[in-house]
Amino acid sequence: MTPSNDEIPAQDITILLLEDDPPTLWRLQDALVKAGFDVAAAATLAEARASLAGRVPKVLLTDLQLPDGHGVDLIRETRQRFPDTEIMVISILGDEESVIAAITVGATGYLLKDAFPTDIASTVRDLVAGHSPISASIARFIVRRTQASAEPPPGPPLNTTRLTPREIDILWGIAKGFSYAEIASHLGMSRQTVPGHIKSIYRKLEVHTRGEAVFEALQQGLIKL
Amino acid sequence: MTEVLAKPASTGGQAVRSRKQASRVFQYILLQALIVIVCIFALRQPLPEPPSRYLVTAFTLEDRGTIRPVTLPDFVPTRLSMDDPALYRGGFTYDSTAARDEQRAWSIYLPRFTNGVEIFVNGVEILDSRRDPTANRPDRATPEIALIPASLLRDGANDLAIRLYIWGPVSGFLDRLYVGPDEALRHYYEQRTLLFVTLPMVFAAWQGILAVILIVLWVVRRNEPAYGALAVAMALGAIQAFLPSAMDQPAYPELNATLLASGPLESAFVLAFAILFFGRKWPRYGALIFLPGVLLALVGVFGDVAAIRQFFLIFGLPDVGLNLVLVALIVAWSELRRQDAPSLLLGCAVTIVLTCFAHDILSVLQILPDRRLFFIRLSYSAMLVAIGAGLTWRFAQALNRVDGFAAHLAVQLREAEEKLKLSFAREEERARAAALSRERTRLMRDLHDGLGGQLVSIVALSERGEAGSGVGDAARAALKDLRLVIDSMDDIGGDLMLALGSWRDRATAQLRPHGIALDWRVLSPQGLPVHPELRPWHVIQIVRILDEAMTNAVKHAEARRISVSIETLHDGASPGCGCITVEDDGKGFALAPGGAAAETRHGARGLRNMRSRAARCGAALELVSSGGGTSVRLTLPRRFPDSDAIAG
Repeated sequence: MTPSNDEIPAQDITILLLEDDPPTLWRLQDALVKAGFDVAAAATLAEARASLAGRVPKVLLTDLQLPDGHGVDLIRETRQRFPDTEIMVISILGDEESVIAAITVGATGYLLKDAFPTDIASTVRDLVAGHSPISASIARFIVRRTQASAEPPPGPPLNTTRLTPREIDILWGIAKGFSYAEIASHLGMSRQTVPGHIKSIYRKLEVHTRGEAVFEALQQGLIKL
Repeated sequence: MTEVLAKPASTGGQAVRSRKQASRVFQYILLQALIVIVCIFALRQPLPEPPSRYLVTAFTLEDRGTIRPVTLPDFVPTRLSMDDPALYRGGFTYDSTAARDEQRAWSIYLPRFTNGVEIFVNGVEILDSRRDPTANRPDRATPEIALIPASLLRDGANDLAIRLYIWGPVSGFLDRLYVGPDEALRHYYEQRTLLFVTLPMVFAAWQGILAVILIVLWVVRRNEPAYGALAVAMALGAIQAFLPSAMDQPAYPELNATLLASGPLESAFVLAFAILFFGRKWPRYGALIFLPGVLLALVGVFGDVAAIRQFFLIFGLPDVGLNLVLVALIVAWSELRRQDAPSLLLGCAVTIVLTCFAHDILSVLQILPDRRLFFIRLSYSAMLVAIGAGLTWRFAQALNRVDGFAAHLAVQLREAEEKLKLSFAREEERARAAALSRERTRLMRDLHDGLGGQLVSIVALSERGEAGSGVGDAARAALKDLRLVIDSMDDIGGDLMLALGSWRDRATAQLRPHGIALDWRVLSPQGLPVHPELRPWHVIQIVRILDEAMTNAVKHAEARRISVSIETLHDGASPGCGCITVEDDGKGFALAPGGAAAETRHGARGLRNMRSRAARCGAALELVSSGGGTSVRLTLPRRFPDSDAIAG
């Protein structure tokens, strides 16, 4: 992703990084600081909440398994209290269990823990610019949930009824390894609009009310993580 | 617009249909007219008679006190008393010399009379027909023959006296009679007996059999009352033909008379059968058709023989005619509507019966100048034949339908079995996929919590240490492989493109730090064909071949650009083979004559691995390497093997 001219300067982007594994925390923080971002680090949910009380970051990067709780709770809280904060989940495998779970509570992106420093910085930059990353396997997971099935497939529950046919087409393209440009030309749209569609897909997959049965099921599923 | 266009067409169709209908009516009427003409022609054919030299026609009739000369055939008015016969007196000449030379006995032959005769030769009685039950039935033209005892015969003129008993319902009749040598007359007598006595008995027997068959049919199929009605009709016919002959005549005269007069009831049942069988709705006052028959029976039971005879003549016969006409109309309507064999057969039969019935009525009323021969019973046999044939036709049709139904059932059963098999296979497949998916989820969670986190820590630690970058690379490769294993366990529904999509993500991430561009080209619109038999272990092998090719390009060939082409090759066969090509612009490597890379031990092992993986999936691997780059071309099989037994 080539940085465009109108993007926000890196030093103006505040990041709250929540990761309990010290080497990983150090590695990610190093990569982000070197890229010029303003990074605050936390190792527990309590520390993160304290940090949020002091300063609202532009980007929240959080692990899911934490010593004093689950990252999903923090993502939900942040999403409700600070809607302008972009939330990204740090995943070990980039698997649908962790990523989809985070998306349904309000995350709009994911970062692999072993990503190269340059990729870490560019992913955060893209997210701030409104470009949510999505992998082929995540896209595949979502589109397979749009297909009618007799019994609910394993994995986190996902309500895909609000997705439009066009959005599903885009997801199919990503799942099959097509680039945004190829998808755009296939579907007769501008390449620039594809990332916006992906963010919209993430937003539609978000579960809004706490009382929803889907949400409860989701929580139960997450406790097993 | 369309209405205007459609209307003439539809009226045209209607016109064609009504024209067709009219021509069908015309054809049917023409056929029936032809049958009537043939019947009349047959009825007008004179029966063979003995030579006229034996004919005796000149008699003197003494009847009710009057004496007048008559010439046979002669009619005498009917009367109520049995003790008041008409007496015919005449004579014949016997030539004893001629007769004795040839040793010939003489007989007297009466072709037709109603109702009973006593014959006297020279004052001695030689025949009383009243002792023969069949001869007593006016509806049967029973002939009589009597041998004249030789002792009675006188040379020259002999006296012949005939007492004609008349008991109605028709008037008395005496046809021309013959006296002559027995051998000259017997033959004609036998002919008439065959035609007017034996044949009706045969048909009556046939009617009895039909009655039994129909009763069985009706008992078995109670929902078809048509067979019941016809069974009753047939039973009545058979009973009235046999019973009076078998019973003691004088003991039950009323019952006998009633049975003889059962025609209206029988015809009413035939009509009921026609109504039911040919699918007309049973009319509201349909029971009325039985009224004349029932009345006649009541008259027979409570009245006397004379009354029943009068009643039969006045009500019974017209009723039979009416019923026959109704049957003819119903059958004609059915034939025009359905055009099936039973309708046509019965239609023709009814026409024959009606023609003979008309002939008999005209004969009874003495309108038609003939010899008082009644053909209605004989012609009724045509109807019996038609009914038998129609029933058999129906039976055969039903059998055909049963066969067709059985065949249809068998086909349906086979289809259902196929469907069940398919759905069972689908169900099995789904259960398998679900089990795999559950296992994958479990494995994913395990790896996420354990191995995955540890590997990430190694990557992070190795980067902090700066020196051990080799450890970091190895840990990163292990993570990548972990993701591959988990990813390939996902159910991709046989669409390899989905696996390649994930691989592209990982490959792009892997190449980015090296500054190598990945050129991804999907040359066929659908990419690769879908393989329902594709299993996770196939996917792993294919993705590892691609990984190996890419690793070689990055590590050993120092490539700047790697391109991956995906296409479906069509070589005439309908489902083409998938083909994946990985090309780089690196420096290449030398291939040993055996096809293995000779350069390094590692390279050689890598290439051998790729070949063995391709072989296990049934795919063909082509390696071309030169100074300008390397190309790895993987051609997928049309069908992936079920097991990797062919592993080399």
